Amino acid sequence: MDGAVSTGNKNDERQAASTASQETGPQDQPNYFASLRLIGGYLGASKFKMIGSILLATLATAAELVPVWAVYRVLEAAVDGTLNLAFIGGHALAALIGVVVGGLALGFALGLSHIVAFESIYRLRLDIARHMARLPLGYFQNRKSGDARKQVIDEPEKLELIVAHGLPEGVSSLATWLAVSIWLFAVDGRMALASIFVTPVSFVLMSAAMAQGGKRAGAYHAAAGRMNASIVEYLAGMPVVKIFNRTGQSLAETSRTVREYTAIETAWARDYIPMGGSFYTLILSNIVFILPVGLLLMQTGTLSLPTLLFFVLLGANYSRPLMKLFNQFHTLAHISMGATMVSDLLATPPQSDTKQSFRLPHHDIAFENVSFGYSDHDVLRNVSFVARTGEITALVGPSGAGKSTVASLVPRFWDVRAGRITLGGVDVREIGLDQLMDTVAFVFQDTFLFSDTIAANIRFGNPDASDEEVEAAARAARAHDFVSALPNGYETMLGEQGASLSGGERQRIAIARAILKDAPVIILDEATAFADPDNEAAIQEALGALTQGRTLIVVAHRLHTIAPADQILVMDDGEIVERGRHDDLRSNDALYARMWQDYTEARRLHYRSSTGHVHEEISQ
Amino acid sequence: MSAATNSEIRSDLESLARVWALSGPLRGKVAAGIGYKFLQSACLGIAFGAVIWVVNKTAGPESLTMADIWWVTGLMVISLAGQTLFGFLSVSNSWIASYETAGRLRLTILDHLAILPMRFHLSRHQGDTVTALTADMQMIESFMSDALPRIAQAFGLPLIVLGFLFWQDWQVGLVGLASIVIALPVFLWSSRRLAKLGIRRQDTQAEAGARMIEYAQGISVIRAFNRIAKGQESFGEGLKAFRDISIKMDDELTAKLVQIGKLLLLGAPLVIGIAGSRHIGGDTEVGTLLSSLVVIFALYAPLLGLIGVMELTRIADASLTRIDRIISAKPLPAPKAAETPDGFDLVFDRVAFSYVPDTPVLKDVSFTVPERSVTAIVGLSGSGKSTILNLIARFWDIESGQVRIGGADIRQIEAEQLNANVTMVFQNVYLFAGTIRDNIALGKDGATDAEIEAAAKAAQAHEFITKLPQRYETEIGEGGSTLSGGERQRLSIARAILKDAPIVLLDEATAAIDPTNERAIQFAFAELVKDKTLIVVAHKLSTVQSADQILVLGDGCIIERGNHDSLVDADGLYASLWKRWAQAADWRIGGKA
Repeated sequence: MDGAVSTGNKNDERQAASTASQETGPQDQPNYFASLRLIGGYLGASKFKMIGSILLATLATAAELVPVWAVYRVLEAAVDGTLNLAFIGGHALAALIGVVVGGLALGFALGLSHIVAFESIYRLRLDIARHMARLPLGYFQNRKSGDARKQVIDEPEKLELIVAHGLPEGVSSLATWLAVSIWLFAVDGRMALASIFVTPVSFVLMSAAMAQGGKRAGAYHAAAGRMNASIVEYLAGMPVVKIFNRTGQSLAETSRTVREYTAIETAWARDYIPMGGSFYTLILSNIVFILPVGLLLMQTGTLSLPTLLFFVLLGANYSRPLMKLFNQFHTLAHISMGATMVSDLLATPPQSDTKQSFRLPHHDIAFENVSFGYSDHDVLRNVSFVARTGEITALVGPSGAGKSTVASLVPRFWDVRAGRITLGGVDVREIGLDQLMDTVAFVFQDTFLFSDTIAANIRFGNPDASDEEVEAAARAARAHDFVSALPNGYETMLGEQGASLSGGERQRIAIARAILKDAPVIILDEATAFADPDNEAAIQEALGALTQGRTLIVVAHRLHTIAPADQILVMDDGEIVERGRHDDLRSNDALYARMWQDYTEARRLHYRSSTGHVHEEISQ
Repeated sequence: MSAATNSEIRSDLESLARVWALSGPLRGKVAAGIGYKFLQSACLGIAFGAVIWVVNKTAGPESLTMADIWWVTGLMVISLAGQTLFGFLSVSNSWIASYETAGRLRLTILDHLAILPMRFHLSRHQGDTVTALTADMQMIESFMSDALPRIAQAFGLPLIVLGFLFWQDWQVGLVGLASIVIALPVFLWSSRRLAKLGIRRQDTQAEAGARMIEYAQGISVIRAFNRIAKGQESFGEGLKAFRDISIKMDDELTAKLVQIGKLLLLGAPLVIGIAGSRHIGGDTEVGTLLSSLVVIFALYAPLLGLIGVMELTRIADASLTRIDRIISAKPLPAPKAAETPDGFDLVFDRVAFSYVPDTPVLKDVSFTVPERSVTAIVGLSGSGKSTILNLIARFWDIESGQVRIGGADIRQIEAEQLNANVTMVFQNVYLFAGTIRDNIALGKDGATDAEIEAAAKAAQAHEFITKLPQRYETEIGEGGSTLSGGERQRLSIARAILKDAPIVLLDEATAAIDPTNERAIQFAFAELVKDKTLIVVAHKLSTVQSADQILVLGDGCIIERGNHDSLVDADGLYASLWKRWAQAADWRIGGKA
């Protein structure tokens, strides 16, 4: 029998207490088993190994009871006076075999269960990868930086604990508990009752303790949230705090949240400890009840000494397997909280894909009364325009006007809520995703580059491109000069261990990648946003190289770059409020004219010089 | 135990010693928690003692009387009462001590972080520090409340049982001890070895995992370029490698650890054999045999709990390392003889600096900024422009040379005074959770509403603030109102205007924002820098044309200096940057300008 009994890990307790208290909430059933449900579907293919593991774990349980049986038999023989060396040797050997077989069987059970775990997690991750490939691209747009890692690595990895340990240990705990219970009752029902009596009592105490502690769960979580937020802010705001000489104030505030948190923790503990602490005592104190009851029964002559000793041997440890199950349940509940991140991903409906291919007569993009919104608010209302092949269509407007949304609807980051978008006359939802992606190239403000060589990153645009073509694309994107200045040139590794490029340089690599793709529709959303003056000119030249004979849609804040566009769409608050060419719009005396004025003015402003005080443009 | 195992054991013991040291003034409670846990086990031992007494008595010629039964029952009541009482005391002491220690440690670390130089904060992963204050503290809490008492519990009952065995028959005692003496060193040795294996497993997994993460992060690009099949192939390879490593290493890890744990139980057959044959040989009474056998599992079962304790110690070790890294970091040296700046001119005198040893960022930089003049720093990206601002604010200390404000070496100026004289507007705006008013008021202690509003007006922020439903009381940050990048920038300028420091350090943002915001920000900056000593890292060359002095930085040195006109005439790097900037201003997409 295994003795790994926790004396109580209060973090787990508190976790469980708080989940328990959420249980009483109106709508949410606590998802204790969310993690089990998540991995459950992937266990099937390893079912023989799993069954093998369970059988071995059960065998281990049985084997571990052999030494107990052997001791019991020797006790019995000693009391009867029938003990001899052969008997002792036989039973010592049986105990030895029991220990060895038990250890080996448990070891193999765990080995198998680990294989089952890693195989099922493998299948789960494969599914995650496949599902990611079918989700709308917009799903990934608002993802936080660590999310990708959590979704494919961290959260699935935690399931290992459940399958690899929870499964065999859970089964063996359950089997031990069942076997011991049956054995105890088979030997003597009265003594069995005396042995197990205190176990349910202690679990009642535990649930009372959890209910008691659960009352503070809300306050506890609020305090923990405040403390963590305050600590993060204290650290993230440190430069500002220091420069404004507010270290003392900021420290005092953060320290206050720490003290509050400690106070709530302590108060929680004081509520929880009287009954929770008693649980951990009582659960191991079965012997205290076995002995007096046993002695009384012996006195009445209905119980033999060996039987009493049998109950001391087996009954004293009666609760241990239950404790292990209890701890495993905690682990399960704990891991289940994180499992929702993965199950939510898998539950997100994939994007529809007709897989059809059309012969497109041209590459005009038409928005026809397009409306779009996220759950709570409208982002676009009734947007209609046509971006023609061979022309440049520019989107301008204040922050939050919906320009980027228009750009991202074309490659179907999201699907429209009303109206439709056509490409070459065909609804983009009718065009197979493969063809759509082949037809549209886009470069957005945030560029993702792979941890690979620069050449490989550019070649991502066209895997069959020759070295000359890669270099030509880089030249066109004005990236060639800085790339060849690097010690390893195009073979320079990017990424964590590799070279770090500036924002402008990264954008030029991304543009080279898009140039190599040679797609008839190009969408640029703030593709030069991170440029410093040196880079900006270079990038803008590069973008010029992309335009001939293509449909180009550009979102830009630097208005001079889009002034010559064939069509400028001025957006405000989700609508197109003006459209036309630069000169017409300037004379319109509406939003565009004002933006243009702001823009040129901002470009003329100087920081004052010591002689001229505030510069003349400012004191207009 | 051999010397070799001794040195292996020490690491575990060192972790324990470190926790002990960290618990500081709460050591008494920690010790009490452990001590009471031991007493709790001892009280459980009373029950086993009673069993032994009963066995010895009934196995002999005598039989039990009712008085004996009452006496045993009384003992059991005492045992239970003692266990409950000491259990309660143990849990109370160790839990409360663990919370209070964690609370105290958090406060100590927060205090320490406040006096650490910005270099500490900027040069390491902020996430690590947050982890040390949150997750690592919970780890320490768990360790102190759970693992420490568990050690007492693991040894308590076995020690008592062992003592009894020796008292009864020292030979059986020795046999009982044998498997422990064999198993414990193997435990410790193998847990160390397995820990090392575990680290190796993490490393190999990290490699394979990186390919999977890359797929997940780059999924948008992969799909945009129709490379899903290729991407999934690479993901699949990483995934397979990950699975195979996991299976292989875990086979070595877990299964073995469990099997080694079972070594302890080998004591059971040994005791059966030896105690039995000694009884047959007539060396011991039947009572001795019976009582030895009946306590045998009480000897081994608690000890198995040590496997879990060792796992916890290993996990806690990583937390301790992170915590120690913060505690042992040195604060900025305080000035020996504090100097007060006389005026607000600023001098860089042959300054050299590097973030990473042997890769100098600034090699030999000298320049003078007269009071109330404008100095612009321009140069290629990565040339160290922002570093100069960081050095003036003393976020880092220079390696050689001097930075002087008003004639005083900034290392000899009290930090408070230096900060009072310098204000910095960062590229990345940081606003605190709280109201707009709070965020602006940060600039000046006890600022009045009128002052706050005036600063907001000067920073071109008043107008958009008054359009918000809660106006100055609008909550920003998570869960609050969302402001655009330009609006956030203007709030940070309002804060700096309110501070009204004589020296302004300005790091222009590179990212483009919409024209209306850009114009407003330019006006806000003009207000901020009025009559101040200004040092600006400029990306928009148009803004620095009228600067008194332009420093062109290249390769860690100032390669050109002068005003706009003289630099354009000099036909060097600045002239070419300016030419490109001017070209860009004329350039249009499609090249049809």
